[in-house]
Amino acid sequence: MNPIALRALLGAPALVVPTLMVASWLGSANTRLQAADPTAAENEVAIASVAEDAYCTPKLKSIVRRVAGACGLLGGAGRGCQPMEAQQVAQLSDEDFNALFRPLAQRAHIIQYDADATDLDAAGRTAVEKAWADQRGASFFFVVARASPDGKTEHNEALSAGRANSVLDHLVDKFKDPEIKKQVGLLWLGESFAQLGEEFCGWDRSHQDTACTAKEINRSAFVAWIDCAI
Amino acid sequence: MAKDFSDFDDDSPDDLGGDTLAFAARPVRIPLIIAALAAVVGAVLAATSTADFVAHLDRQVHDIHCSVMPGAEAVRGESGCRTVMLSPYSSWFRASYWGGVPVALFALAVFAFLAYRAGHLAARGKPTRAEAGFLLAGMGLPVLMSSIFGYLAAAKVGATCTVCVGMYVSSGVGFAAALAAFFMVTPTGQPDTKAVQGFVVSFVEGCAFVGVLFLAYLLFVPQVEAKAGRGPAGCGTLVEAGDASGILIDLAIRPGAAPSIELLDPLCPACRAFDERLAASGLAERLSQQAVLFPLDATCNWMVKSSLHPGACAVTEAMLCDRAAAPKILAWAFTHQEALTELGRKDEAGLRSKITQEFPGVGACLGSPQAKNAVVRSLRWAVANALPVLTPQLFVQGRRVCDEDTDLGLEYTLAHMLEGHK
Repeated sequence: MNPIALRALLGAPALVVPTLMVASWLGSANTRLQAADPTAAENEVAIASVAEDAYCTPKLKSIVRRVAGACGLLGGAGRGCQPMEAQQVAQLSDEDFNALFRPLAQRAHIIQYDADATDLDAAGRTAVEKAWADQRGASFFFVVARASPDGKTEHNEALSAGRANSVLDHLVDKFKDPEIKKQVGLLWLGESFAQLGEEFCGWDRSHQDTACTAKEINRSAFVAWIDCAI
Repeated sequence: MAKDFSDFDDDSPDDLGGDTLAFAARPVRIPLIIAALAAVVGAVLAATSTADFVAHLDRQVHDIHCSVMPGAEAVRGESGCRTVMLSPYSSWFRASYWGGVPVALFALAVFAFLAYRAGHLAARGKPTRAEAGFLLAGMGLPVLMSSIFGYLAAAKVGATCTVCVGMYVSSGVGFAAALAAFFMVTPTGQPDTKAVQGFVVSFVEGCAFVGVLFLAYLLFVPQVEAKAGRGPAGCGTLVEAGDASGILIDLAIRPGAAPSIELLDPLCPACRAFDERLAASGLAERLSQQAVLFPLDATCNWMVKSSLHPGACAVTEAMLCDRAAAPKILAWAFTHQEALTELGRKDEAGLRSKITQEFPGVGACLGSPQAKNAVVRSLRWAVANALPVLTPQLFVQGRRVCDEDTDLGLEYTLAHMLEGHK
């Protein structure tokens, strides 16, 4: 055979076949690329969001939103709610109000105070820090402070307000988080509204080793993150 | 003696030229056929590798062939072949073309050419010393490239690609066969007047093989229109790029460089691989790098149902506790990622104690409410920006690099995103 013809006979397919294959692969890739929806894969990925726990029923969320809004949380002021305001915006009986917090049994901490005191003791400070650090995806940190019925109503209201504020002050001082005041909602109920029953003695409380009666459990601030997207 | 081999060759000893020994000319076909077959095998493997690479130019995830056995199924998960393919050494011109031009394409061109040359010489059966010498030199090229890429795979990438090893072996066998053929063609003792001309023609042919395939690649390589949600335009922007909560970690602050934020998990293998790719690309030097930590560990991250990277929360706490040492802690976590993840899965307390032992600076902070709170703030940065729950993510000047552009297309995309930033 003519040497040039032999060379061409062997060389041409050796060059043409790989070239056609590569062109074909590239063409297929191009077809798939142009047909693909670039957002399709991303739409399947979850988006980072705050937590929404199972106990966040529409009713609970509605009440939390109402309380949070009326008490200044949603505006970022974090001014807190007084007993009458809380009762009014919650539009709930004492028992119904407390029932709202029952699903938080594993999440809440009850910070206890000595009689007629508003300062956090060491155990109280530790419990507040522990509770705050356990934020996870929660949006609001509720501090619901109370006082026992001993003494005058006005004095007890002031006591509960002092207790709620002692929690906030400690958080601000300890964590120096600029977002704190947008996340903490203070409710001080004094002795007038939603007193805790003795069944709450079984919850996580800072004076775990001391006796617990209705009086002791109400000398307290109930603190918990609410895992609801409000 | 020469007559003993006459049955193996159609060429009469007279055709071999008076100065070529018949003894050597006849069996020279055998090594030439072996060389041609070795080159064909090399071409098939290079074609397989090229096809796998090209398939990924549609920006999707595909199976990769990682076996030299004919008909072996492609695999989807992690493999040495995938690691090698995603490494910056698998292709050239990455900043100019999305993914670059695969090295395997050049291998395909060279092997195809060598198969043709060896096949031609075997078919003709009368190689001159110069022709055999050219074939030997040609076969030396894949051997040289095999040595270079074998070294890169072992020393730089840390993974072996089975298909590549097949090509290395083909190169070696082809070279050995060409060497045998070269020595079996005895010099004529007279100057070969056509040697230079033949050498030049073959060289031009070889260049044509490479050039044609290269041009065909550039002609047909897929391109996408630059628009939002694709390529250098990025996939969204940060809504709250600021650091009000003080959780950004300084990885490498370079004055004048483009600000970038990487969302990462210290125990995420994809983050480590991404970090390596970014470093190898050389483009990291043009970024002022900060990081937001996003551990995919359910012990602190409420957005994941189960812990993808157990122990990541502890390492994240450590980095946020000692921010000055954070880059060192991250490098350490990347280096010992598998062991730390395993320890985190079995004994998180043990992992925490190991971290404290290695980085005493994290001290009492590790595990404290402040550390846990810092982790939450870091996670909430992603919430505030409504980011996908995945790592790694890279934001350059507030624009998010699309996920499809974080591996093969990283250099192309980053280079184009940084075009406006000197």
